[in-house]
Amino acid sequence: MNMKSFVLDTIAITQKELKQLRRDPVSLLLTIIFPILLIGIFIVIASAFRATTHNVPVVVADLDGSPASNALLNQLTQSRFIHVTELVGTESQAYQAVANGQAIGAIVIPQGFGTSLASGNAFVIISTDNSKLTSSAFVSAAVNQGAQNLVTQALQQGGVSFGLKVSSIEVITRPLSGRPPTGDPILPGFLGMIAILGGFDDIVNAINRERERGTFPRLTLSPVSLFAVYSGKMFATVVLTILRTALVLLIFTLYGLTIRGNLILIFFTTVLIAVFTLSLGLSISARIRGSATLTVLEIAMTFPLFTLAGTFNSPLLLAPGGKAIADSLPWTYGNDALRRLIYLGAGFNAVAGDLLILIVSSLILLPVAISLSKRTM
Amino acid sequence: MSVARFLSDSLAIAENEFREFRRNRSAILISLVVLPLFFTVSLGAGQGGAGTTFSPTAHIPIAWVDNDNSLASIRLWQTLAGSPDFRNLIQGYSEQSAVAQLGTKRIYAVIVVPKGFQNDLENGNQARLILYTDDGEPGVSDQIQATLTSYTQNFNPNVEVQPHLSQLQRQSVAGVAIVTKGATFAGFNIGLTTVLAIVQIFACFYEIAGGISREREEGTYARLLVSPVSLGSIVLGKTLFDILLTIVRTFTILGISIYGYGARPNTDLGTLLALSLIVALVTIGIGFVVAALKVGQRAVVIIEFFLILFLFAFSGLIIDSNLLVGISQVVSYLLPFTYAFDALKRTVLLGRPLLSLTFDLEYLIGSIIVSYAMAFVLLHFSRERLIT
Repeated sequence: MNMKSFVLDTIAITQKELKQLRRDPVSLLLTIIFPILLIGIFIVIASAFRATTHNVPVVVADLDGSPASNALLNQLTQSRFIHVTELVGTESQAYQAVANGQAIGAIVIPQGFGTSLASGNAFVIISTDNSKLTSSAFVSAAVNQGAQNLVTQALQQGGVSFGLKVSSIEVITRPLSGRPPTGDPILPGFLGMIAILGGFDDIVNAINRERERGTFPRLTLSPVSLFAVYSGKMFATVVLTILRTALVLLIFTLYGLTIRGNLILIFFTTVLIAVFTLSLGLSISARIRGSATLTVLEIAMTFPLFTLAGTFNSPLLLAPGGKAIADSLPWTYGNDALRRLIYLGAGFNAVAGDLLILIVSSLILLPVAISLSKRTM
Repeated sequence: MSVARFLSDSLAIAENEFREFRRNRSAILISLVVLPLFFTVSLGAGQGGAGTTFSPTAHIPIAWVDNDNSLASIRLWQTLAGSPDFRNLIQGYSEQSAVAQLGTKRIYAVIVVPKGFQNDLENGNQARLILYTDDGEPGVSDQIQATLTSYTQNFNPNVEVQPHLSQLQRQSVAGVAIVTKGATFAGFNIGLTTVLAIVQIFACFYEIAGGISREREEGTYARLLVSPVSLGSIVLGKTLFDILLTIVRTFTILGISIYGYGARPNTDLGTLLALSLIVALVTIGIGFVVAALKVGQRAVVIIEFFLILFLFAFSGLIIDSNLLVGISQVVSYLLPFTYAFDALKRTVLLGRPLLSLTFDLEYLIGSIIVSYAMAFVLLHFSRERLIT
């Protein structure tokens, strides 16, 4: 077989794949809906975190009634994190409110708070419903901020040294990107996940559904080399990944994220992620024949990747076991490259290692996948 | 039709389901092995188990640039470097070269002690530390800043060896200690609440909705409907089959969580099993509704994917429902799974008795009744159409 015939066959198979997708409204919808839905979910979560006020309900028991405790109470009522719903008379009433689910936090300013503050030994008790993980953190943050403001205020008014050692070191953070702190660094990881999900979906369409329809054996019996069949299917995935990436980048831009990196490198990275995913999907499809079963399995595999491949949080923050898994997954490097390109605006040198890992992984897995797939014919 | 006949038909349907399940190795693998194992192990590995307390910042390479070279800055270095949270502080960089290394993955942050640091402290002014971070790594900047602040808040430059502070003391502001009360959770308890519900939802939905659509595609569902078995028996039989699988999955997840990751649920086995079954029944009910809509297997999988994504966003898994805003909060409060997660957290984490969670239980049981009633009506009409 000459090169020209191989290229022509590949193009023909690619065209066939894309035509099939165009004629299947469910799959076409899925290709478009996946990215929109994922980013939509990010926006829901991010908007909750970005809200200017959180109004986490808390009750306060001021058992001191001193000017100092009043000042702290004022700080708490002004907090943007919490909403003081009730002032209760006793410590037990405050705890009861949390136990009954009437409030997420109870703040108790103990008797003698004012005099203890002067000697630097003051304390405040907070009790939170820790089953509400985010809300209880907001209650702690509000009390911490209130106490900090109280101490600073007391010092600024002068004359009152309290004998306490103030929080005298401020940490000023300067991020490398120069961007304000938001949840946006996780957006490139979402693009990576979309490339993964897309790649998995493409392999289901390309192999398993053809097998179910009985068209795959016919395709292999046609005067087209098997290599051209696989490369044609892969090129269809490449085209679809480019389209998905373009759609996601458009959504990012509309959302307000400035994309800094080289667009060609971004597209190249998502294509590499998709090709690796396709190779893995091809290997699995050799064992699992049903398209629905394979899709379920692949979705089940994808959800843990939100944690392990560094989509929501950097793999650096994972427990040692999780970090070891993350380091062994080529997708982690793909997501890392996307973050560096899109968010930091890094160049080729910064992501070359990541891309190399993706290329080598695909080069190792792809022949294995094709050979496994051939055995099933 | 007598009750005995109804039950006997239901058992026959359940038996048939088991026979088919036993013959399908992929289904056994996915339902009983892959789903419980994948979710539990991946979450456990990410969060760490009970015996593996770890500091997220401990091994992150961070450059230390001391432009003050004073006693105070050296003591701060000693405090940080000797702490369990900053084990990879690297000295020897100039400010410029350290900042230039950010983004190369050699270092992820640079702590700079500016000139005049000690003077500021001595004169009662607020001293400053500059923290440059690689914010291309989500969460790393916030984590390093929070951990560094917890040390600087209570740093005393006049003391050579800083007193050892507990995690709670480090969260306090100097001068005002914050005593935190409330349940603290051992090891993998939070992960257990998530995995227990997500796995059941994932598996039950596919087993019911996917199972019926597969039968429909294969043509066996039509034959089942024209057999002398009531629709109620079909629904009950399939439910019984899935309940048994749910019990097996619950034990698998509990086994891995407790023995593998040291989870210590603050509740008894009966409560855990009851909650798993309630979650499963809600999902099975919804599965029947979807199946009654005559969707194909592929559509079932797509709906399942969207359902799980929905749960992550709206049911309090990532962010508490009360913090959601606008329409997303309304969606969250309408979702029965929000109450399932709430009940799981309150029992597993806080040790509340299940029967004390009256609203959660009422909402969940109401959802089961509504979804089963809807499914029954829809399946009944689709059966009529099929027969006529």
